[in-house]
Amino acid sequence: MKRKKKKLTTLFILLGVLAVVVLVFFFGGRREKIKHQAGPAVSATGSGQVQGVKTKRVTIFFLSESDNLLHPEEREIRAGTLNEEARAVVEEIIKGSRSGLLNTVPETTRPRQVFVTSDGTAYVDLSRQILEASYYGSSGEMAAVYSIVNSLTYNFKSIKRVSLLVEGNERETLGGHIDLSRPFNPDYSLVAR
Amino acid sequence: MPRTARVILVLSLLFVAFSSLVFSPVLAQKKSQPVPVIKVEVADFTGGTRLKITAGSNLNYSLRKSGNVLTVSFRTSSGLRYDRTPFSSRLVQSIDLAKSPEAFLLLIKTSTADFSYTQSARWNPFELTIELKGVEEKKAPAEPRPAAPEKPAATQVQTQPTPVAEQAGPPTSGGKKQVKTIVIDPGHGGNETGAKGTYGTLEKDVTLAVSRKLKEAIERGLKYRVVMTREADLSVPLERRAAIANNNKADLFISIHVNGSRRVKANGSETFFLSLNATDEESRRLAYFENNSEELENRVPEKDFDDLKLILWDMAQSAYLKQSSQLAEFVQQELNELLNTRNRGVKQAPFKVLTGAACPAILVEVAFITNPEEEKQLQSEDFQARVAEAIYRGLNRFLQLYEKP
Repeated sequence: MKRKKKKLTTLFILLGVLAVVVLVFFFGGRREKIKHQAGPAVSATGSGQVQGVKTKRVTIFFLSESDNLLHPEEREIRAGTLNEEARAVVEEIIKGSRSGLLNTVPETTRPRQVFVTSDGTAYVDLSRQILEASYYGSSGEMAAVYSIVNSLTYNFKSIKRVSLLVEGNERETLGGHIDLSRPFNPDYSLVAR
Repeated sequence: MPRTARVILVLSLLFVAFSSLVFSPVLAQKKSQPVPVIKVEVADFTGGTRLKITAGSNLNYSLRKSGNVLTVSFRTSSGLRYDRTPFSSRLVQSIDLAKSPEAFLLLIKTSTADFSYTQSARWNPFELTIELKGVEEKKAPAEPRPAAPEKPAATQVQTQPTPVAEQAGPPTSGGKKQVKTIVIDPGHGGNETGAKGTYGTLEKDVTLAVSRKLKEAIERGLKYRVVMTREADLSVPLERRAAIANNNKADLFISIHVNGSRRVKANGSETFFLSLNATDEESRRLAYFENNSEELENRVPEKDFDDLKLILWDMAQSAYLKQSSQLAEFVQQELNELLNTRNRGVKQAPFKVLTGAACPAILVEVAFITNPEEEKQLQSEDFQARVAEAIYRGLNRFLQLYEKP
């Protein structure tokens, strides 16, 4: 009797091992992709609970009236997937500053889509209103581009560079100056210390 | 069951589990997505060249022309292979497959930057047909300077005249490269107005006025041909502006702009040359990280060297950065001297108009049209003339430096 029980246990163990083997065989190759879609977990330091909604603290860069540099402003956004959080950051940039800093992009702009590829490029697709600014000299354009680029790369470790699209298409520039055809690395020399 | 048999069974199962762990990603990839192979057929016809690109599966693609390179980007997650077949063509020089962070790029290099293209695609099976047509220009030399030099080493350029320039250029003393043509690029134009001032002044009008004055100054004082990328209030695409410089074998490219900012107070003048989005910014970024936060350490992007090479290859200007920075320095000094505007210094930024220029190239940002005081200045003939004079003096100093044997 005892012997039979032992035999049964062994059988179960073997079945378990087999199940693991099968599972690993079919899903092993996809581990990388799944990991990326999950996005970064809400960090312990920069998160809180506001009225039961999980939030995340982020830093948004706006232009300062006093110098020609980008200055940080803290915000709470709703926690979610990487794509959702990145989109929320772009929305905050468009909404503009609450502490008297200058907005860098036209407030009528809509984010059409924000998604991050597995190699760390964030594609930010904006509506055509992003092009309609009277202040797009080189400085104005640099501020618009790098407030978006720096805000995204600063807040999300998995975003290494940012590519800007307008109405779903690649564009040469926003207003005739800065080249949009390549993804941007962050440039923190434009940020106040 | 004997004990030994059980042990052997368990061990063999563990072995299978282990090996499947190791090999499953490979197998899964192979099974789910075979790597598409693209083939390119090249055939010349009168007045152009037809490229037929075929692949085993449908591909998302986009086309982009930059100088003498037509890039077809394929966005695919499954990898891509290029089945190279030899070809000969008047227009197409080489076809290569490269990988950028977000796509596979088929780089079609042509003998001239002056061509137009049309494309059509068929699906199932995938077939993309691109027709390249050379643009005939009366004045343009038969072989314009290649817009993308293959060895973009800044130090080589000073001493080495490009082979094409030697062949097609007018006879020069001892084969030394001499400055012959200066291309002036008045920023914006047509419906592309540039920045606007509070009194309604448009950037495009000021840049054209200053450019005209600069042209006069150069023609008065120096024996150089001056070509303008636009002579009137016209919209000219940015890539076209660089192409005009390269087709005229420009030795200097000066783009004139007037600055604008959301900050009404912003003021001053600055001179730009191209930044490559990776080189010195990498170090500035590092400096920022060091001073700011310890948790930023792992955020420094690991820059793939191949990407960098591709960027360099794609940008003709990368070969001339050293000279461009020197030219920018001289012009900025003269602007400070003559204009009395705040010195914002020499800076680098990824300006579209500068990327394709195969010669020393700068972009001057004179004062801020969005600053009411400076806007008034920019409207005045006298101020415009002083801007032209300052740029003229700056480039004259540069020319003298490089004219010496």
